[in-house]
Amino acid sequence: MSASTAVRVNWLGSARVLVRLAWARTGGTLLVTGLVVLLLLPMVFAMIFASRGSLSGDPVEFLVRSYDSLLGGMATPLIALLLGTSAFSAESEDGTLLYLVTTTTPRWWIVLVRVCFAAVLTGALSALAVWGTGTLAAGSSDPEGVTTAYTVSVFFGGFTYAALFTALALFTRRALVSGLVYVLFWEGALSDLFPALQYLSVRQWMRGIAAPLTSADTPADLPSVTYALVAASLLVLVTVYTGGRKLHGPRISRMGT
Amino acid sequence: MSHPALVFENVSHWYGDVVAVNDITATVDAGITGLLGPNGAGKSTLLQMAAGLLPPSSGSVRVYGEVPHERPQIFSRVALVPEREALPGMLTARAFVEARATLLGLPDVRLAAARALDQVEMASAADRPVQEFSKGMRQRTKLAAALVHEPSLVLLDEPFNGLDPRQRLHMMQLLEQRADAGVAVLLSSHILEEIEGVAARILVMLSGRLAASGDYRALRRMMTDRPHTVRVRASDVRALAARLVADPIVLGVEVDADALLVRTTDYAAFSRHVLQAAMGLPYGAASPASSPHTPPAVPITLLGIEPTDESLEHVFAYLVEHR
Repeated sequence: MSASTAVRVNWLGSARVLVRLAWARTGGTLLVTGLVVLLLLPMVFAMIFASRGSLSGDPVEFLVRSYDSLLGGMATPLIALLLGTSAFSAESEDGTLLYLVTTTTPRWWIVLVRVCFAAVLTGALSALAVWGTGTLAAGSSDPEGVTTAYTVSVFFGGFTYAALFTALALFTRRALVSGLVYVLFWEGALSDLFPALQYLSVRQWMRGIAAPLTSADTPADLPSVTYALVAASLLVLVTVYTGGRKLHGPRISRMGT
Repeated sequence: MSHPALVFENVSHWYGDVVAVNDITATVDAGITGLLGPNGAGKSTLLQMAAGLLPPSSGSVRVYGEVPHERPQIFSRVALVPEREALPGMLTARAFVEARATLLGLPDVRLAAARALDQVEMASAADRPVQEFSKGMRQRTKLAAALVHEPSLVLLDEPFNGLDPRQRLHMMQLLEQRADAGVAVLLSSHILEEIEGVAARILVMLSGRLAASGDYRALRRMMTDRPHTVRVRASDVRALAARLVADPIVLGVEVDADALLVRTTDYAAFSRHVLQAAMGLPYGAASPASSPHTPPAVPITLLGIEPTDESLEHVFAYLVEHR
C-alpha cells in the first residue's frame, strides 16, 4: 500500500478557503484603523490643497509629490506589510498554520494565493487612494496622465511588496518589525542617499514604472521598466518557491500547548 | 507489497545541541498504539516527524513505505491532531471542517464534514463559532477535522486533554472503532491512566529515548510491581524504624532528619502495616500483643505518609533501569 495515491487538488476551492482564512485575520480593529489612516492621509492633504484654490500651486506637482511620498513611499508598502504579514504570522504564532500544512494542497499554491490576496487588496486600496487624491486635487481630469501612471505603479508595488512581506512572515518571527525597518530605513533613507541601492528598492522600481507613463516631471536615473518588471517577477517567484518549501516544515511556535 | 503504516528506524532529531529524539526504532500498524512519556520526552517531535513536518536528523521515517517529509500527498491517508487548542475562532465548526475537507481535495465537502462532525457528536453545535467552544468541544472539532477524509493513519498529540470522563470514553470508543476498521492510531499522552484500556501496545519515551515498548499489560505490571519509596513522618522515627525493619514487605529503612524513607515492594500493604507498627501491633493483629514477657509497645504518632517517587518520571526511570 502506498501513501502517494492520486491526489485531487481543488484549486479554486482551496484558494477560497485560504483567502477566507487570511481575510479573517485582517479584520482586527488595529489593522483596519491603520489601513484607514494610511488611505485617508493623502486624501486629507488633497482636500486642503483643493480648498486653497489657485493659491495652492500646480496640481500636477502636488499629485506627483503626494503619490510618490505619501502613497508609494508610505501607504502602499505599509498596507502590503500589514496584509502580507498578518495571516501567516498570526497562524504561525497560534499554531493554526498546522491545519493548512497537514493537507494535500501544494505548499506553493498556499503561498501564491496568500501573495495574491495581499497584492490585490493592497493594489486596490492604494489605487482607491490614488484616484481619491487625484479627484480631490484636480477634479475629474488627469493632468499629464499622472493619476493613471501612479495607479499602475501602486498595483505593481502592491504585488511586489506583498511577495516580499509574505516571505518575511514565513521566514522571520519579527516580520512586522523587519518590514518596517526595510520601508523606513532602507527605502526611506538609504536608497535615496545611495543611488546604487535603488536597484534593490521596490519604491524605486515603482517610480521606474510610473515615470514613462506620465509626462510630468519625475525623479531622474530610475531603474527601467524592464528591470523593475524582471526584478519584481523574480521576487514573486522566489517567494512562492522558497515559501512553499518553508511550509513543508513550518515555523510553528509550539505544536503542544 | 504491503508496508506498515509507520516505521521509525534509528530515528533521532536534535534542535541545535538539544537531542529531542534519540535513536528510536519502532513500528506502528493497524490498531491503537500509545506513545507514553512525561512532558518534554520528545513525543511531539516524534509525531511531527511521522507527519513529515520535521525531517529526522538521522535515521529514517517511513509512512506506508515512503518518506513523509516534503510530501503533502501523504496527508490523503494521514491525519495529525495537534495538542494545541487553537482553531480559527471566527469560523463555525462546520466551516472549519469543510475548509479542511476542501484543502484535502475531497469531492463532497459538505457530506464529509457533516459525517465527521456527527462522528464526534458535534452535529448540534456545528454552526456555532469555535471561539465559543469549551476545551472539550475544541478537541472534538479538531478530531472531526482530522477524520474528515477517513485517514488510515491517525497521529494524535495528547487527545484527551480537556475532555470530561464521558467525552473521553466517547473518544476512546471512536478511536477503537477506527482501529477495528483497520486504521493505525498513534496517540501520545503523559498520563498512563489516559491510555489504559485503549492502547493494546505502548511505546514509552523518556528523555528522547524509547524506554520500553510492547504489550500494555506487561508494562503496566512492571510499573505497579516496582519498589516504592515512602516518606514517613512520626513522633519517634527511630522507634518506628525498629518496628518496620521486621516487616517482610519492607526492603530498607533510612532515617532522614525527622522522617523515615522506607522502601517497600507493596505500597498499599505498607500503608496498613505502618499504622499497625505505630500502634505497636504485630502485623495482621487487631489488638496489641498480650504476652506477659514483653512490655506493651508505646504508641507512636504518625504525622504523615507520602510516596516520594510516584511521578511519571520515576516510573519511567524505573522502566529504563529494568527493561
